[in-house]
Amino acid sequence: MEAKAKKTRVKDVQRGVWKPEIVAEIKHKAETGKHRIRGCGTPRKFPDFDDLLVLPSQLTRMSIDTYREDCKTQTVLGSRYAKRPLVIETPIMISGMSYGAVSKEAKIAMAKATDIVGTSINNGEGGLLPEERANSYKQVVQILPSRMGFSLRNIEAADALEIIVGIGAKPGLSGHLMGSKITKEIAQFRQLPEGIDLHSHPRHGDIFGADDLCLKMDELRDITDNEIPIFIKIAAGRVWEDVKIAVKAGVDGIVIDGSQGGTGAAPVVAANNLGVPTLPALVQAVRSLEDAGVKDEVSLIVSGGIKDGADVAKAIALGADAVAIGTGAMVAMGCVVCLKCHEGKCAFGIGTQDPELRKRLDIDKAAEKVANYIKGMTYEAVILAKAAGKTQLHSMEREDLRSLTLEACAMTGIPLVGTNFTFTEPFGYF
Amino acid sequence: MVRLDLAGMLPREINRKLKDLIKSEQEIEVVHTHSVHNFATALIGHGRITVEGSTGFYTGGFLEGPTLLIKGNTGWYTGDNMMSGEIIVEMNTGSNVAPSMLGGTILVRGNSGSRAGWGMKGGNLIVCGNVGRWTGKMTLGGRIIILGEVGEGIGESMYNGVIHVLDQAVEDKLGGNSRIIPIDDKEKAEVAALFRKYEIHQEVDALRSIVPDVYGHHEYLLFKPTHKKGRQG
Repeated sequence: MEAKAKKTRVKDVQRGVWKPEIVAEIKHKAETGKHRIRGCGTPRKFPDFDDLLVLPSQLTRMSIDTYREDCKTQTVLGSRYAKRPLVIETPIMISGMSYGAVSKEAKIAMAKATDIVGTSINNGEGGLLPEERANSYKQVVQILPSRMGFSLRNIEAADALEIIVGIGAKPGLSGHLMGSKITKEIAQFRQLPEGIDLHSHPRHGDIFGADDLCLKMDELRDITDNEIPIFIKIAAGRVWEDVKIAVKAGVDGIVIDGSQGGTGAAPVVAANNLGVPTLPALVQAVRSLEDAGVKDEVSLIVSGGIKDGADVAKAIALGADAVAIGTGAMVAMGCVVCLKCHEGKCAFGIGTQDPELRKRLDIDKAAEKVANYIKGMTYEAVILAKAAGKTQLHSMEREDLRSLTLEACAMTGIPLVGTNFTFTEPFGYF
Repeated sequence: MVRLDLAGMLPREINRKLKDLIKSEQEIEVVHTHSVHNFATALIGHGRITVEGSTGFYTGGFLEGPTLLIKGNTGWYTGDNMMSGEIIVEMNTGSNVAPSMLGGTILVRGNSGSRAGWGMKGGNLIVCGNVGRWTGKMTLGGRIIILGEVGEGIGESMYNGVIHVLDQAVEDKLGGNSRIIPIDDKEKAEVAALFRKYEIHQEVDALRSIVPDVYGHHEYLLFKPTHKKGRQG
């Protein structure tokens, strides 16, 4: 008896470029005539710090006892012109996440975490929540294009200022906060109509270009009397040139946000296609600062997909002074990275303004988890630094690194593992 | 009255001097400003500063309380992030007057440039002359009054606040997500009070108001085909 021909199931058909997610995107556009909005940033795989390895000390240098000898982690940022630079106990900062994108409980928890470990939090867009300021160890206040909830009082409350030019998840675009999160309280805080979908300004109404930025810096220096540092946050794009302009404008520090950075809501096409990944962006920023002769003056903070202590150690080795985390801190509180922050229905009470969902986040437990996460990351970074023979985390240097992939080698100028060869402009000793 | 000669002084020195003077003086006259930038930054107090000349960019930024009377012109970003007080410009301002202004009143007796009242959050901005494009773009609050001609895109994507205009052709220049409505009696009374205070001789009945169009969702068109449907030729 002839065997019955087996039918190929639809799901088993090989479709090449027409993968299920591509088909779903086409159907979404066909139905709505619009682009899709999503939370968390891009799920694309970009080259990252995992593509580098740290060289351990052996005969060429002495290792430091992991458990019994010190490795300093204290970090000083913004001492170029500021009389009171930002001094934090670990080079891991919490980056700007707005009250609105995340709940009040989440903001307070993260602020409390900074007080436990001795680091800074950043208010993000939409004003400075008093409870955040009251609980934070060090407070960075952002100056965003929208200026929602921003006033002279915010500057007075800051330990450092951060002028936002762009964020890695959607550089060149405005902030998005979907109507589901604009509750009565958020609306009042930001002076918005309740329930409206917010698409805020993509550029500052009082900084139209690089020359004006210089004057704006003078204005802010006048207000702060040079007491506190002023940073500028740039989404990674034309990093070399942008860094040069920021240096000329007189900033104390530069935050480079790579394209793995997260956000509460962004057009998918922007998150997936705009900008430069964190790893090559950091290298280009360091090269630019060195070219300008100000690498030791201007602090460099890197963010975008920083997840563990190895990333921290490698970022510092490449030339960063600190890193900033966002999504990682939310994961520590319970986030599962469902990419649906924009819907405002976060089951863990983090990316939501729903009063019932918010009750699910225990502030003190969440604060402890974020603090533990930062502490654990710092431990990891210290373990690598000590193994590399450093008594200070900031003594990590690019000579301690090797590239695991040709791609990372070409992008960073760090030699390929097992060789002293690079494929592009060398970055360091070679 | 104290007279301050700014010749040869840098903005930081000027502002430090003004901050000291305003603590004790109610009337300060300033000469030789030479269009200096960042004039009177974050000046806090209750005095009146009269400038016998022009000032540059960021005049009166973050001002909180005092009155600045500028007898000449001012540059871009006049009154940026202003908290309260008054800035009266007898002549013209550059573009982006009153960006993100929170409170107080800015009066421009001449013309202003584009993007007047960008992201304004509160207070009053009065321009007696003409303004360029995108006046009141994405305002979060406050009142803008334009008595001359307005440029294209006025009121684009306002979230809150109101713009009063006289320009009869404003319908052709209205930005997205905003609409024109008659001025109401309460607004007329408030505007008339401002006009009396600043000796602006203009009837309020002829004014119309631009307000946010919808509360819920703004509409944006990122693709604007201009062709006529159907095969051509």
